[in-house]
Amino acid sequence: MREANNSSVVVVDFWGNGFGMRVRIALEEKGIKYEYREEDLTNPQRSQLVLDMNPVRKSVPILIHRGQPVCDSAAILEYIDETWKDGFPSLLPRDPYDRAIARFWTDFVDNKVFSTQAMFLRSKGDRAKEESKNELIGELKQLEAVLGDEQYFGGANFGYLDVVLIPFSSMFYGYESHGNFKLEEECPKLSDWVKRCLARDSVRKVLPDSVEMYELHKKFYGIE
Amino acid sequence: MDGEVILLDAYASMFGMRLRIALAEKGVKYEYREENLPKKSPFLFQMNPIHKKVPVLIHNGKPICESLIALQYIDEVWHDKNPLLPSDPYKRAQARLWADFVDQKVHTLGRKTWSAKGEEQEAAKKEFIEALKVLEGELGEKPYFGGEEFGYVDVALIPFYSWFHAYETCGNFKIGTQCPKFVAWTKRSMQRESVSKSLADPEKVYDFFLILKKHFGVE
Repeated sequence: MREANNSSVVVVDFWGNGFGMRVRIALEEKGIKYEYREEDLTNPQRSQLVLDMNPVRKSVPILIHRGQPVCDSAAILEYIDETWKDGFPSLLPRDPYDRAIARFWTDFVDNKVFSTQAMFLRSKGDRAKEESKNELIGELKQLEAVLGDEQYFGGANFGYLDVVLIPFSSMFYGYESHGNFKLEEECPKLSDWVKRCLARDSVRKVLPDSVEMYELHKKFYGIE
Repeated sequence: MDGEVILLDAYASMFGMRLRIALAEKGVKYEYREENLPKKSPFLFQMNPIHKKVPVLIHNGKPICESLIALQYIDEVWHDKNPLLPSDPYKRAQARLWADFVDQKVHTLGRKTWSAKGEEQEAAKKEFIEALKVLEGELGEKPYFGGEEFGYVDVALIPFYSWFHAYETCGNFKIGTQCPKFVAWTKRSMQRESVSKSLADPEKVYDFFLILKKHFGVE
């Protein structure tokens, strides 16, 4: 507890955690300095810091602001947007309906895309792999349709849904290798969007190397 | 002023009840349209093509899906009356987290108390009670999860109370005796007109539940 109070903003996370990358990208976008504390998720035992700060879920990322913990990546993003508001770039749009749409697709990413990609990486046998691969590509195509011809999901500006989704791109190489396909062919607009996001300092700084991400996931999912 | 508000819903849906309560709290006039589950209408598929589920809030022709998202939308549009989320960012984050806990634990485990069998069902019943006890801990001595005022988490959670009779009957266990603080909170919440008018009758929920059970092939 004493250690956490040294800095005003602390992020407890794991380098390969896509949900945590969102939080770090959001802070970078807002220009907020933070202390990063690595939690080794390859070790099944959680640290005392995580158990103290997130006793209900025992998970990362955790944002600790002025000694108080905020958990769950979507809740953290909204907290960051609300706390560092005036004079900072906004993540969520102003209009309530646009905000609802951004939250809806975030829920889609968290509940559908995330579990589909896990199923794809976990799948055994050619048919199961092919089915889940097609499901994943289908969901990415749905997100591509949401993007349309805009620069970002936030329209002209990099916004909430961009922050939510871009960490998944660090596994695109992994999905391509695992499923033997090219995302550029399946989702050209989404691929362009990834390139556009990677040109941003915040994204470049936070996203890990794609090859390392795939190796990490291979170990986790028991892929040969 | 309010615009055209339609709620596509199903009487026994705890998620739909959330929106009925919120709209009542805000004094918003709306048209209620009942979906005849498990048979879904083409209109529902049109309004919610991704999930094909109720409830769907339709404001001036634009659909908002997923109950917690629609709840936040209602709170933001009709922000002048009975705010559901607190204004402090930290307290808002806590409220969002606990509403998510209701979805992840109360709903998922509640469902398992009737859909699972044998040991899995016994485990689900135990975990369900534990989840309610965690919520009791979070409530503490406050009258509501929102503090002095009925709020976001209260709205998210109270509809599940209408399903307790179904869970208890099917799972053969008693919830109230194990969670007295929770029961006290439900009684307090039910005193609000928005809640008492929006919550489905537990007997009718049980009847609907039996249809659902048959539809999913669970005996």
